[in-house]
Amino acid sequence: MGLVHKIVTWSRIKSPWIIHFNTGACNACDIEIVAALTPRYDIERFGIQLKGTPRHADVLVCSGPVTKQIKCRLKRIYDQMPEPKFVVAVGTCACSGGVFDGCYNVESGIDKVIPVSAYIPGCPASPKAIIDGVVKLLTGLEAKEAKAK
Amino acid sequence: MMGLFYMLVFPGFIFLSVFGMAAEYCDRKLYARLQNRVGPPWFQPLADFIKLVSKEEIIPEEANPSMFKIMPVLALTATITAFFYIPAWGYKALYSFNGDLIVVLYLLTIPTLTFFLGGWYSTSLYSKIGAVRALTQLFAYEVPLLMSILAPALLANSWSLSEIAKFYAQHPVYWFFNLLGFAISMISLLGKLEKVPFDIPEAETEIVGGTFTEYGGKLLGLFRLGIDIEAIVGSALLAAVFLPFGLGLPPVAGFLLFVLKVMGVICTLSILRTIFARLRIDQMMAFCWKVLAPLAFVQLFIDLILKWIPLK
Repeated sequence: MGLVHKIVTWSRIKSPWIIHFNTGACNACDIEIVAALTPRYDIERFGIQLKGTPRHADVLVCSGPVTKQIKCRLKRIYDQMPEPKFVVAVGTCACSGGVFDGCYNVESGIDKVIPVSAYIPGCPASPKAIIDGVVKLLTGLEAKEAKAK
Repeated sequence: MMGLFYMLVFPGFIFLSVFGMAAEYCDRKLYARLQNRVGPPWFQPLADFIKLVSKEEIIPEEANPSMFKIMPVLALTATITAFFYIPAWGYKALYSFNGDLIVVLYLLTIPTLTFFLGGWYSTSLYSKIGAVRALTQLFAYEVPLLMSILAPALLANSWSLSEIAKFYAQHPVYWFFNLLGFAISMISLLGKLEKVPFDIPEAETEIVGGTFTEYGGKLLGLFRLGIDIEAIVGSALLAAVFLPFGLGLPPVAGFLLFVLKVMGVICTLSILRTIFARLRIDQMMAFCWKVLAPLAFVQLFIDLILKWIPLK
């Protein structure tokens, strides 16, 4: 059990497939996420691949405050992902609602709707910060697995 | 007992899985290097596979569970079975009979049919679009592929892959006349493997994941492994028909030469996939029927003429 568990954890850390979802961002964070996916930053080095469908993805990368309209869609996308799954909130708005917090049409940060594993602040968060955040999430996962054992 | 060993270990499931993953790594690494980036580490396909296998399996409520589950397994078994009839090293395939060329081509068509049925039975809109596209594409590339591979068989006067390899080893000059067919079958193979200029059925940027939209976890892992092995088997078929050199070598050298030939075909495919962008389905149909199929006819005529007027 121990060895199998270790191998599975290793593979999870080495192959995070992401799906990008805009929960109401102003597009700045989305552009930075797309920039992080370009050959310039080459995230395939870490095994990260962008997938089109939530069924293939392990990490849901969200940007922007959750608007009232997108809330149920965000929940549905999250439910469509197979376990184990992680959520990364990119940008200040996604972390806490940012300047939109308290607006009549906004439900504050992502963590008010679905559980978030990593927060990446910044307005917008730079591609380097996004990559760093995802890598920290994965190494944190490794540490958590070690502690659980 | 020996049969079980052939099926499961060598040259069956385990050998083909390892070889398929190695080929996927080479493909992805070369793709990355051609885009001027570092690319994935060597264990990437293995890590992807283990991760997918250990993930939760979701079957859509509307989908037909048994069809949904059986399709990836069918794709995998069909491709592995096809490999037994291809002469890899030496003149003789593991199992060979007159007509195995047709059987291999037929078995290589099954994965595409499973993509269609798997997509159709997952009853998602995107996977249905992908499934129909996969079938449409099948009708476009299958004809040039079949004709360009049958032309050398016509010249060799045999439907058996082992006999064809033997014929071309005895008459190496004829090889030059089949180069056109080699190019055509290479392009058709890109369509069969759904690689980039022809990745219309699973185009992630327009129809999310195409056929595989609803697949996740184990089943997706099996499908991906099936596609990797299909790439190996397709390349081995092309190598057996169009590159029949050095088949009389001792076992180890012959095996290395075989790996080299297959890798050569795989690397050419990944260079092609780097330099082209995705076509639309109508452009693909027009290209296959108006350009590839007539060229395959030209190849057939070249071989017919050679048959009537043998080279001295």
